[in-house]
Amino acid sequence: MQHNGSMKVHVECCGAAARWCGAEELSLDLADDATVETLLERLSALHPELARRRDRLAVAAGETVVPRDHKLTANERLALIPPVSGG
Amino acid sequence: MTTGNLRPPRLRPGALNLAEFLAQPAPPHCGALAVFAGTVRNQHDERTVTGIRYHAYAPLAEKRLAEIEEEGARRYGVRLAVAHAVGELKVGEISVVVVARAGHRGEAFAACRWAIDAIKRSVPIWKEERYADGAAEFLEGNPLRPVSEP
Repeated sequence: MQHNGSMKVHVECCGAAARWCGAEELSLDLADDATVETLLERLSALHPELARRRDRLAVAAGETVVPRDHKLTANERLALIPPVSGG
Repeated sequence: MTTGNLRPPRLRPGALNLAEFLAQPAPPHCGALAVFAGTVRNQHDERTVTGIRYHAYAPLAEKRLAEIEEEGARRYGVRLAVAHAVGELKVGEISVVVVARAGHRGEAFAACRWAIDAIKRSVPIWKEERYADGAAEFLEGNPLRPVSEP
């Protein structure tokens, strides 16, 4: 249910993103027409260390990498994927 | 190529045991078995490393590791098995395994190399190194790429 045209989304901050954002899990209130780009803008405004790496981040919803214009839905869960270093 | 619901996860807690992957039966047409295993090194950028904690975003990491097996099989005509550790590992322990079984060594070696490169660029896993002075840092890494790149 939406109030005042806003919705909550939940973000898992993976790897070093947890340090940049100060938490492993975040919840934010965004406009109900928000996209992944909107989310990153908000997070970048709140967390300068994330802002510096914004262009090198991927964002996933479940098993899928989503593009910046992916339209968010209420209570959607997303993951911030910093540059990877496995293998 | 997955073998159905009984296949164990490709992300494993703690160090990997290479013997487990070599114990899997070889298809009878295969004359080659190539292996790559990555281990934790004690040095990085002139700092003494005492261990690594591997972090992963499991939903996508499992999917990407499965895609690497499938894509490698398609590209090289081999059977691939890959796995990656998560959690705390000590120096010398195995963090990643690629096993390629093929008719001949050429495609087995090629598939092995392709697979480890694909793991490094396309799987959401991060190394957090532990240093002798007590510090710990995430490696900077490279932006996530798709599995299917040359």
